[in-house]
Amino acid sequence: MPSEHPMFRIDSFSCGYGKAPVVKDISFTLSPGQRLALLGPNGCGKTTLLRGIMGILSSSGNIELEGQNLRTMTIRERGRNLAMLTQMHSVSFSYTVMETVLLGRYPHLESRLFSSPDAEDRRIAEEQLKKLGLWQERDKPITELSGGQLQRVLLARTFAQTPRLILLDEPANHLDLKYQVELVEDLKKWTGEPGRAAIGVFHDLDLAFSFADTVLLMDQGKTVFLGKTADLEPEALSRVFGIDVPGYMRKSRLRWETLTNREDQHGNLQKPL
Amino acid sequence: MNKYKRGAILLGILAVLSVLLGIGVGSVPISPVQILTALTGRGDEGIRALVLGLRLPRVALAFLTGAALSAGGTVMQSALDNPLASPFGLGVSAGAGLGATAVMTAGLTGGLAGTFLLPAAGFTGGLVTVLLALALAKAFDKRLSSVTVVLTGMVISLFFSAIMDLMAAMLPEYAQRISLWQMGSFAAKGWRGPAVLCPVLILCFILFMRRASMLDVMTFGDEQAQGMGVDPQRSRLGLIALVAVLAGTAVSFSGIIGFVDLVAPHIARRLFGAGHRRTLPAGMVLGGSFMVLCDLAARTLASPREIPVGAVTALLGAPFFLYVFFRKRRK
Repeated sequence: MPSEHPMFRIDSFSCGYGKAPVVKDISFTLSPGQRLALLGPNGCGKTTLLRGIMGILSSSGNIELEGQNLRTMTIRERGRNLAMLTQMHSVSFSYTVMETVLLGRYPHLESRLFSSPDAEDRRIAEEQLKKLGLWQERDKPITELSGGQLQRVLLARTFAQTPRLILLDEPANHLDLKYQVELVEDLKKWTGEPGRAAIGVFHDLDLAFSFADTVLLMDQGKTVFLGKTADLEPEALSRVFGIDVPGYMRKSRLRWETLTNREDQHGNLQKPL
Repeated sequence: MNKYKRGAILLGILAVLSVLLGIGVGSVPISPVQILTALTGRGDEGIRALVLGLRLPRVALAFLTGAALSAGGTVMQSALDNPLASPFGLGVSAGAGLGATAVMTAGLTGGLAGTFLLPAAGFTGGLVTVLLALALAKAFDKRLSSVTVVLTGMVISLFFSAIMDLMAAMLPEYAQRISLWQMGSFAAKGWRGPAVLCPVLILCFILFMRRASMLDVMTFGDEQAQGMGVDPQRSRLGLIALVAVLAGTAVSFSGIIGFVDLVAPHIARRLFGAGHRRTLPAGMVLGGSFMVLCDLAARTLASPREIPVGAVTALLGAPFFLYVFFRKRRK
């Protein structure tokens, strides 16, 4: 029987750092399998909204997962249901790849005297490492990985957390194109499993559209557009970003076509564009 | 046998060797057999008195202090996601020093009450300083970020050290005692120190090991820790308070000894990896052994004079600190 609640819902949700909220009166629902991209210029409140949902910032309004108020959950319960992947940053301590992915099981550890990952936790971590092609690297210290590899390990850790909803805060920043594309593909595969959804902030509009089926366009903390990616008016993007977004996209496409034409004509690139 | 098991065996051998050397080397050399005989209550009465009454309590206090400071350093570095954090840097030592200096200059160190008052004042001073540093850090930064905590601790630490120097300058009759206390020593402390420090260390060790996974998660920074089900602010407060109790108790018996809390955790991580289930106990054994050997050097290198043990740890620790700092910057 289908659930009477949406998988995730926020209603009249506001949050911020001080007394005045940065994010104001946002409402949306997510169904299983849905991928929502938060779009908007710098400072419009995308990351603040993610932090508010995660419970890092104080917030007002309703926030529910499967009908349960998220604020009534303990922080560990939240960790079992929500996970967050942020942009890549340096790590100070040299955990191995396996140890790092196993940390994703922390919210699931039983609160015994000296709780540590059990066989099931190891099986889940191993499965994620294999799925993301990291099994060979399992004993390598994460301090010796490239940025792209490290972000992939952190993605495996996020998956090992087996959350219902993943929040992504510019996870593709500083990554090579290959890793950006792989990241989005892995996320799409993950949300393809039953009972999972994701909300992501991506700076790159192409990447955001490639990831999302739904868009929340924000400006100054408020909703400008909420709906299917295909229904987003390009003019709305231009208004919010303050540049001719369709014009920019056209030029970008033209540059790309020139590049590919030249490649077709000569078989290889003569000079960089 | 994997490398961790090999490492654990080597650590065990290091600990036993350092203890045997700590007890055996001195103006009266004592062989391992004589030590073992004395420990079983047999053998020469003079040797027994020397081992059980003088050298063993000294070695025990040095080992426990090194272990306590190392555990404190490991936990601080992880709780603050900062490889250069330490109880020393957060002001525990300076606060303990100020407390002890206040008791000394008030002339309250005599008699039975005095012998307990000095460590008690050191312990209280360390704890109060950390609480003050945390309160100030919280006032500046509601999220209690690790950078704010480390900087506030550093400022308070320098401020309290300046007050101690000022007291030493204003009260020349206490200057030498204050100065000696600031450099640390395990000389003639008896069994009181180990008897108090041992249970505190065991209790804190159990509490830290219970939080080993949480400490692992915290090393990835606040945002990621929160995303994995850890409340970084609350956890950090609790962990720092525990470190203050542990390091404050240790420092209150020995005086200020720096760098062990920085050096031992880094070597342990290098040998045993970053996971706290291995690195915390390994760092404690390393810190304890290192402290016993530093104390051995302190009392034998310039014999019959004794060098303050804090000077020995600083001489070895300062270059190591620079190495860690510059290696991190190069990255």
